[in-house]
Amino acid sequence: MFFALTEEQEAFASTVSEFLADRFDLEAVRGVVEDPDGDGHPLTLWKGLADQGALAVLVPEEHDGLGLGLVDAQVVARALGAGVAPGPWLATVLAAEAIRLAGSAEQQARWLPALAAGETVGTVALRGEGGAWDGSGITVDANSPEGDGAGRLSGSASPVDYANVAGLIVVAATDASGTPGLYLVEAGASGLSVRDQHTYDGTARVGAVDLADTPAEPLAAGGPDAVTALLARGAVLNAADLVGVAREALSRTVAYDRERTQFGVPVGSFQAIKHRMADLHVAVTMAEHAVLFAAHALDTDDPGTAAAVAVAGSKASDAAWEATGAMIQFFGGIGFTWEHEAHFFYKRARRRAPLFGSAEEHREHLAALTF
Amino acid sequence: MDLTYTAEEEQFRTELRTWLAENIPEEWTRPGYWASLDTTESFEKRREWEARKTAAGFSGIQWPVEYGGRGGTPGMKAIYDEETIRAHAPQTVNTLGLTFLAPTVMAIGTPEQKAEIIGPMLRNEVIWCQGFSEPGAGSDLAAVATRGVRDGDDFVVNGQKIWTTNAMHGDKIFTLVRTEAGSERHKGISMLLIDMDQPGVEARPLKQMSGASEFGEVFFTDARVPAKDCLGEIGQGWRTAMLLLSFERGASGVGQYTEFRRQYDEIVAEAKRFGRADDPVARQELARCLVELECLRYHAMHILTRTEQGKDLGAESSMTKLQWSEAFQDLWEAFEKVLGPEATLAAPRPDVDLTPFHAQDHWSRSVTIWGGSSQVQRNIVAERVLGLPR
Repeated sequence: MFFALTEEQEAFASTVSEFLADRFDLEAVRGVVEDPDGDGHPLTLWKGLADQGALAVLVPEEHDGLGLGLVDAQVVARALGAGVAPGPWLATVLAAEAIRLAGSAEQQARWLPALAAGETVGTVALRGEGGAWDGSGITVDANSPEGDGAGRLSGSASPVDYANVAGLIVVAATDASGTPGLYLVEAGASGLSVRDQHTYDGTARVGAVDLADTPAEPLAAGGPDAVTALLARGAVLNAADLVGVAREALSRTVAYDRERTQFGVPVGSFQAIKHRMADLHVAVTMAEHAVLFAAHALDTDDPGTAAAVAVAGSKASDAAWEATGAMIQFFGGIGFTWEHEAHFFYKRARRRAPLFGSAEEHREHLAALTF
Repeated sequence: MDLTYTAEEEQFRTELRTWLAENIPEEWTRPGYWASLDTTESFEKRREWEARKTAAGFSGIQWPVEYGGRGGTPGMKAIYDEETIRAHAPQTVNTLGLTFLAPTVMAIGTPEQKAEIIGPMLRNEVIWCQGFSEPGAGSDLAAVATRGVRDGDDFVVNGQKIWTTNAMHGDKIFTLVRTEAGSERHKGISMLLIDMDQPGVEARPLKQMSGASEFGEVFFTDARVPAKDCLGEIGQGWRTAMLLLSFERGASGVGQYTEFRRQYDEIVAEAKRFGRADDPVARQELARCLVELECLRYHAMHILTRTEQGKDLGAESSMTKLQWSEAFQDLWEAFEKVLGPEATLAAPRPDVDLTPFHAQDHWSRSVTIWGGSSQVQRNIVAERVLGLPR
């Protein structure tokens, strides 16, 4: 029994965390937050992540990747969440995963090395406005007018992370028979337009992707199973980011409440605060366990994977939601100000919590699996 | 990550599973069977079962062979917990002795104590009670007032203990007694091993809100105990008690998950029976419980890993207690909320008996109190894990 990270995985986590602390700290994050018209994609950060292999983690070695698994990838996601780091890491990793899972040998050779090296930014567009995150919420139609398999996509997807800087968008679309599939759309394709949706989470950029008879290349094995597999990976890595946000929010709150004095004593000595912090510590720890387990389940194709993903998605959303709300409350007035960093964590948690399925959607999925 | 057990451990699972299949009567697997017996009948059956299990080599899984144990690994203990619950084997009648007293005796007992206490306990010839809580010493254990006065080679003990598990069936009781007159708080306490079969010891059942009497009260009136029957040094009872409580749990989360997950499935089955399984709010409620139970399972694997690595769990066991006890209690709250009026009826239909559900439901209120209340556990997590000031 070994339910833990290996020394190599711990070291990988430290490398990313230390890089962020040295090279992209909260002041740098603030720079991105306070430049809402910027592209939210600082190149120093991107290059650093690429140098550490953070973008290559899931890409097979034959395509210049590290050939590691979701357990390793969640290590990176957690570190980025803890650092409230901006940039299209998750978007790019998921685009590469789509191609790894469902692309032809030719598609893999063409795209994976560039995505792993950070030369191409990727993203995924898997759901439309108001839709569910289970393949039923797709609002893009695929046609093949020439009957040659080459696709033409029409419709829209939203919200799409970092569509503003993506060179490649993996779009989920339904064909004439209503079957979902995955398609590659390149930046600059005819009929493609990206509209900035101005998320309140300044650590990300999010857009709506509109497609009007846009040429697209279907992924060779990009059927409904590939859509489901991609959504599951998105859910787990997004949950890992949320867990990183939650743990860091809690640690910062605890550190502050050890020092902050009122009524002549540190406010952290009051049980009203202690008990809340203790409950959050338990909740965040359980969410960390759940993400680790779900990542391992995906890596090993465990028969309980669907349930494990739902548990992780639900628990991580709730933990991040609660820990970041508590951060503002237990920092008191200062935590409510623009100058303080609490809102970075709070807004990132709330933007991400519903992505790839809200806590409620994950729980409904779990009920469906066990009832 | 490697969530498998070793080949040797899996071999142990196969042996145990086979033995359990041959030795568990069909009627024991019926839902509510144990709840349908009266406390004494249940106790005697379990006592006999435990002796049989020990003879077959399936007790003291992690205990050293020299003490009659199996010398097994933490993984085997987890497998033991999982398999016995899966097979509907009854809970041991000697929990407090086996979990707490035995390892403490192994650690600090005299050679005589080791010889006299451990073997008979393992064979269930001697049932041990724990005499810690008192009417004035619940969460504040250092407030114990039961006093012992030296009289020759003996201590003469007077006072009262309460919330004593198996008080009516116990043979001996490991008891925190204030043996230094006028001492305060953690000082001057000794852990005395008192024979309950004597005129100065009277046990009375305590009827719980469920109607059952798993707990009792124990009254000491000039009870006598030889001074040599002190575990640890005289006057160092607090230290002995802290060592004893440190043996709590370990990898038992695997077994707890197995038990609670079965209860979840039974509650879902009742929700379906009474037409509540399609209600979106009910589904959220139940799925939320399952999320917490699954987290308990992952946490158990984490704890098992730490145990195998020989790491001290320390204050982390408070987190384990919070997770299992709150998840278990929440599950039974969900039962009430989801089933609504039907949940409150023992016989909502002629062929449906919810009595066993009510027994669990009402029992669930106790688990966040005993063994360190949730409030005490939160203080421990906040102070010793997070480092918040006292």
